[in-house]
Amino acid sequence: MAVETAAPSTKQVARRRRFFSKQDKVTLGFFIGIPTFLHLSLVWIPAIATIALSFTYWTGIRLEDIVWAGTANYENIFFNTPIFWEAIRVNTIWLLWFFFIATPLGVLLAYQIDREIRGHKIYQSAYFLPVVLSLAVTGIIWNFLLRPDGFVNGLLGLPISEAVSFFGDDRYNIWVIMIMASWRHIGYIMLLYLAGLKAVDSALREAATIDGATEWQSFRKVVFPAMRPVNIIVIVITIIESLRAFDMVYIIYGSSGGLPILGVLVFNNIAGEGASMKGAAYAVILFLLSIVPIITYLQQQFSEDNK
Amino acid sequence: MLNKISNHEVDRRLVLKGAAAGGLGIAGATMLAGCASGTGPVSFGARTVDESPTIQLKGLVDAYTAKTGNEVTYNATESNAFQNNLSQYLQGTPDDCFQWMAGFRMQFFAAQDLLVDISDVWDEIGDQYNESYKIASTGLDGKQYFVPQSWYPWGLHFRKSMMAEIGMNPEDIYNWDDFMGALAELKGQGLIGLAAADKGGWEAMGTFDILNARINGYQFHVDLLGGREKWTDDRVREVFRHWEMLLPYQNTNVLDLEWDGAMQLLLQRQAGFFMNGSWFGGNFLEQSQEDYDDLMIVPFPEINPDHGRDTVDAPIDGFCVAKNGSNNDGGKDLIKFAGDMEGVQAMLDTGIPMTSANNGQDRSTYDAFQNAQLAVMNEAKYITQFLDRDTRPDFAGPVVGPAFQSWFKDPSSTDSILESLQSQWDALPPL
Amino acid sequence: MTTTIKIPENKTKRKLHAQQIKDRIISIFIGIFALVWVFPIVWTLWSSLRPYAEIRAGGVFSPPQEIGIFNYTEAMERMDLPLYFANTALITLPAVFLILLFGSLIAFVVTRYSFRFNVAMLLLFTAGNMLPPQLVFIPVFKMYLALGDLFGDRRLLYDNHWGVVLIHVAFQMGFATFVLSSYMKTIPKEISESAMVDGASVFTHYFRVMLPLLRPPLASLGVLMITWIYNDFFWALVLMSNDSKRPITSALGRLQGEFVTDYNLLAAGAMIAALPTLIVFFVLRKQFVGGLTLGSTKG
Repeated sequence: MAVETAAPSTKQVARRRRFFSKQDKVTLGFFIGIPTFLHLSLVWIPAIATIALSFTYWTGIRLEDIVWAGTANYENIFFNTPIFWEAIRVNTIWLLWFFFIATPLGVLLAYQIDREIRGHKIYQSAYFLPVVLSLAVTGIIWNFLLRPDGFVNGLLGLPISEAVSFFGDDRYNIWVIMIMASWRHIGYIMLLYLAGLKAVDSALREAATIDGATEWQSFRKVVFPAMRPVNIIVIVITIIESLRAFDMVYIIYGSSGGLPILGVLVFNNIAGEGASMKGAAYAVILFLLSIVPIITYLQQQFSEDNK
Repeated sequence: MLNKISNHEVDRRLVLKGAAAGGLGIAGATMLAGCASGTGPVSFGARTVDESPTIQLKGLVDAYTAKTGNEVTYNATESNAFQNNLSQYLQGTPDDCFQWMAGFRMQFFAAQDLLVDISDVWDEIGDQYNESYKIASTGLDGKQYFVPQSWYPWGLHFRKSMMAEIGMNPEDIYNWDDFMGALAELKGQGLIGLAAADKGGWEAMGTFDILNARINGYQFHVDLLGGREKWTDDRVREVFRHWEMLLPYQNTNVLDLEWDGAMQLLLQRQAGFFMNGSWFGGNFLEQSQEDYDDLMIVPFPEINPDHGRDTVDAPIDGFCVAKNGSNNDGGKDLIKFAGDMEGVQAMLDTGIPMTSANNGQDRSTYDAFQNAQLAVMNEAKYITQFLDRDTRPDFAGPVVGPAFQSWFKDPSSTDSILESLQSQWDALPPL
Repeated sequence: MTTTIKIPENKTKRKLHAQQIKDRIISIFIGIFALVWVFPIVWTLWSSLRPYAEIRAGGVFSPPQEIGIFNYTEAMERMDLPLYFANTALITLPAVFLILLFGSLIAFVVTRYSFRFNVAMLLLFTAGNMLPPQLVFIPVFKMYLALGDLFGDRRLLYDNHWGVVLIHVAFQMGFATFVLSSYMKTIPKEISESAMVDGASVFTHYFRVMLPLLRPPLASLGVLMITWIYNDFFWALVLMSNDSKRPITSALGRLQGEFVTDYNLLAAGAMIAALPTLIVFFVLRKQFVGGLTLGSTKG
């Protein structure tokens, strides 16, 4: 499924180069320069600065207070902070859940909706609805259902004092959060996959069905492999969304440690009164964990662009 | 540097003297009215969006504007957002005068050069406050950075009508055995003995504070928070042993409720006692006058006769002036007004109950609940500010909060939690 | 590259019929789930129409005695909606505009001309989009203040909706670049070549030739971006000190603190806050999927 980009012959390149007037060069300079400058100065340079800061002790207030700490923050996190490992456990469960349950469901949903089964227009809207809600609203909505005086506890007939502790009890809270996160994630994946499916040549799929293949076979053997670039995007997004999760948990638990995840640990230690560069170290760890999918994705992009 | 925290304890005896004397400084207050302040428009940052405190604070700034003609821009932020953002707020574009809390939380920011030294304001209004409040308002360098507004004790709250129905008199509860008996009685009646919450990560610190102070005494508590005693000490273990005894009488979903959830248990008559700070009286009042009148407080029982009931957590809320504000002089002017009896009276005139730190408040106007709060304070000799105000902020929030939460999840893990607390304290970078 | 499975004709008919039954079952199944899917929203909506006092007295399933929009009117009075929605617009609209502009500029240069740095640029922007925001927050904060001090106005970027706009633009540019370059690759080279042969300047090439062709992905991206930026609350929280400048999502946190004893009122507030994105969604449903092209098999 390559995009035809005929490599220009040197004659053509030379011809094109000659067409760049001075005015053109200036235009190009602005076209590229301004966005790049913004992106570098607000994303990349601060990122590098934070990575550097993670090797220091600092409260984040006065520049002259920065003290070199070497790997002390990292050692502190790895050896001295049990909540870090709990967070890793939660994020791992998040990742596995998204990878094996939520994303596949989103993909299958997209496929069915794309096939235009009955009611697909309504279904598409229904499943996508949670995606347009802000995570704060999502947190409030689910809080409503699962509060001690909410819907589910009301259904179970329990008074506040004996209500099932959906958010506080470790047996339930992670699964509750998984369901909430999936509520949104499935619709999002469905959307991305739908966009990708539209690009798959319909002739391809018709040919497969005419040959007598079932829908499932057609999907597995024809459509899915043809969607390789989209598959990679979806995988990358799945990994990133599960590792970087923050908003939803923050809205329910605030900055407390009720359900530790990496995103909240970063926030806790980098903002607020207890700010320290331990937070920067957490952010770097989060960054490194996310970098695997980033690199994978970039490799794929790179090889595709070189075709 | 940390051992200075212990020097800033509030000697209860001095406050007691103040309370008995009463009515100081009213004459002095009127003298200040003469100063015309041409300090220009001022901005005020409130740390709350709740109904009752907002009415109080608006009363204060309106009175200030009426008196001086200076316009006040009232900026309110929800308290969690405010606290989480304070460091950025103070470094960036803070309001001139803002609401904050006493204790190390204030001293820390003063030491970072983000608060304005207001010792000169204290020179003018200091006679309206007891020495102990001045001490609580002093930074680590000996200068004042804080003006108190109000205080509230942490104690056992209950509803008079409920207790009357059951036939229990909480005033009779003096020691731990009495308390256990009362809790068992409540449980027998199908009620929650002690409503508890810890979803926010800080609520349970109140229980820890009082248990530690009761069992091991004020000095040990202060030393522990200052890092001079160890969390792995047997005495701390003893605290958790007692805490575990309370668990069967609490609601099972402690980690699912924030303080307002546990308050609901008391409000809806599902729980007998609620160990909390008395600020929620305002919420009861918003419910109905009846509910508010039903509310009462007694001190937490004695556990160790050596220490009796000599310590109480009584956090002081108040105001500070931000250095990076655009109008430092205006901020100082406003804070002086707020600390002065005139400002206090403006807040009292709004009708919202407030236990002011100012001696000028006529305590004879206290309602029954406020008198009971005062009694709780009076009985104590030592006052602490609350764990998350008395110790390092990078320890209280990120470490102790989650540690207590994991203890609730598994009370048998006390030893490993204490070891982890100690090692995380040891690993903190030097301040 | 298709799989060919030769099967006799009547078996094919039966297979088709079986498939139709399967499809119906699937449709029903998905339909039921769709109901479950929207239930939480419906429940919140329902709760917002009842007074909390009733719930407290009788529980969530108590028969409704009072139903009305009183929670909504009270929430609107207390929430100061015009202010917060105005803040949201001040942040979202410029941000989306700039994101689409910059994204299209980069995508344009990178796909229509062959420069050696093309691939590197794409990688730079897409990778940047994936960095966690918390990684950059403290330096950005300090930078904003330092720039403000340099120009004599601390509020140049900090506590200023432009500061929030710029950080959103910097982060989201990558996604826009990616989608737009993906789409542009499907536009035939001949169009650009003939423009260049005609002597069009780079600017004309972009503005007159390419931009009009980009309507579908720009619409989709615009709709997506509006939703995303509208829903952010982290940046507004930490880059602003004045609550009255924050957008509506930050105001929700405020609601949680303010309506602490009246959850149904909070539900009404949440529904109000969600309204704009819901409206955008229902009106512009098609655009969400329409112009997103993620890869292409079109020959």
